[in-house]
Amino acid sequence: MSETATPSRLRASFRARRLGRGPLAAGSWVVVALFVIVAAFGPLVVGADPARGTNDTLLPLGAPGHLLGTDDLGRDELARMVHGARPLLMVAFLSTTLAAALGIGIGLVAGYAGRWIEWGLMRFMDLALAFPSMLLIILIVSAWRPGVGSLVVGIGVALAPGLARLARALAAREARRDYVLAAKLGGTRSPRILVQEILPNIAGPMLAQVVMTLSVAAGFAAGLSYLGLGIQPPTPDWGYMVQAGQEFLYSAPRLVVMPAAATLVFVVACNFVGDDLRDALDPRSSR
Amino acid sequence: MNLAVPGSLRTPWMIVKRLAAVPLVMLALATMVFIAMRMLPGSPATSLAVGGGAASQSTAEEIAENEARINEALGLNESLADQYTTFLHDVATLDLGRSFYGGNDITKLLGEALPATIELTIAAMLIAVLIGMVTGVVAALRKDTWIDTTTRAIGTVSFSLPWFALGVLSIVIFGVWLRWLPVIGRIPNALDYHPFTNFVLLDAILQDRPELIWPWIKHLILPATTLALSMAGFITRIVRASVLEVLSDDFVRTARMKGLSGGAILRRHVLRNSSLPIVTVLGLQFGSLLGGSVITETVFSYPGVGNLLINGIMQRDYPIVQGAALAIALLFTLVNVVVDLLYLALDPRLRKA
Repeated sequence: MSETATPSRLRASFRARRLGRGPLAAGSWVVVALFVIVAAFGPLVVGADPARGTNDTLLPLGAPGHLLGTDDLGRDELARMVHGARPLLMVAFLSTTLAAALGIGIGLVAGYAGRWIEWGLMRFMDLALAFPSMLLIILIVSAWRPGVGSLVVGIGVALAPGLARLARALAAREARRDYVLAAKLGGTRSPRILVQEILPNIAGPMLAQVVMTLSVAAGFAAGLSYLGLGIQPPTPDWGYMVQAGQEFLYSAPRLVVMPAAATLVFVVACNFVGDDLRDALDPRSSR
Repeated sequence: MNLAVPGSLRTPWMIVKRLAAVPLVMLALATMVFIAMRMLPGSPATSLAVGGGAASQSTAEEIAENEARINEALGLNESLADQYTTFLHDVATLDLGRSFYGGNDITKLLGEALPATIELTIAAMLIAVLIGMVTGVVAALRKDTWIDTTTRAIGTVSFSLPWFALGVLSIVIFGVWLRWLPVIGRIPNALDYHPFTNFVLLDAILQDRPELIWPWIKHLILPATTLALSMAGFITRIVRASVLEVLSDDFVRTARMKGLSGGAILRRHVLRNSSLPIVTVLGLQFGSLLGGSVITETVFSYPGVGNLLINGIMQRDYPIVQGAALAIALLFTLVNVVVDLLYLALDPRLRKA
């Protein structure tokens, strides 16, 4: 039965033992896990309110009661760093999910349906790709209104065409296989064929690409929140913290260095984790 | 990564065809800008009038008043078809209107900002190619040593780098701590630069002012390197692969037998053979480079189109946003054409077929 075949087909192509080989890949997994843990549970551990200002402005590192000092409004920097991890992780994850849903959905339909449906859908994707992704996201976010919702939609829409192209190519190949023909002759309806027959068979390479998309999405999410197009203050966010901290480059460079370094480490680790996962999911793609 | 050369470019006729496609692509892009500005949830006027979300303290009357003013300035009261015709006419005649704030001529603003962005992206590409070539060749010649492993690891990172984090950290290190390089702007005000072409290097030559060049380069180094790093990773991987492939080819053995030195072989054969994939990567990655320049320009307060775009968004200066978006799309399209034509120049096989 195709229902039970779904997980096993994916499992068959997944080489879990190939994960985390080498210090770099292993280290990156640890880093990403740490960031997720901090984002999830950190705010519960760090008691301070990241949005509450005090008169103790610009306290240095190690000040009593403020391990990482305070910012220009006297807000606890440790609390801001810990809370600030959430928007980045959230936007990266949600926008990748949206991109995957859109891209795989469109690609599956185009690849399976063929003819003018395929032509129309893919020319539409080409058009989106003719635009630099960053510009597309900026236009969507600013024409709507900056915030997590529009950022997720913007990044999701901008990254979907790349996934749609791959999904279309894979789906078109599968659609010609005998098992699809058998299902058609057996009277299975098209949506069912798409979801239960074709999707499980393209899941491995598709997931590998989606994982790579995650690190691209994280890069975009960080960059746009730096531009002020992400989550809005007073909710802390690393990107916006860097932008706000640039005013104090000379007096308190740590306000810029800490969130910038955290973003850099997280996105770079995402790259390695993605690369590692891709090798495990789709061994053919490894160099 | 798909590095296949487009099969459509086989004859000179194809060049003409490729060039003829430019207006069509531009029309499509302009239409997308038009749609993005008008069709998304919440009219641009409302979202502009309410404020982009940041610090929106306006009262209902102020919002309504702003909305009416914006609608009128943009001609948003007309029918969509009329708006579209007017929009296309304006774009075709390069009349992009005036900014809400300051009433500056957008075409003139773009005339100043575009050269700055072109300088930045070209500098970034040159740096990326330089870094990529050197690291790629070194990694290939030292295959399977720690140098190779490290270089390949760095190449993996190139999928996505947070430019703003890199840029800001480089500002702190080289500008604030070491004080080696300037971190803001394009050219110091004290230099009394009177732009003619708005390309500093060109102006320095035309106006015979060599003293402009060094400060200009110093201002370019940090933003261009920041921008270059992600692209350099791709080029490293390609050069490494090309070098390894070419080194095992027969003609390199022949060249060795002819007594050519290692350096000469590298120059004559290896680099020539890897130039095509490099151009491909430059083309494929140019969009990402332009996107990165939006952020890099903001980080370094560099007066390019990206900076103009972001300032426009922050001030909700809608004509500026539209003009800057169009300029970026135009630049992107033109570079793609140049890359396609470069294939022909670099690979004679494509010319005669």
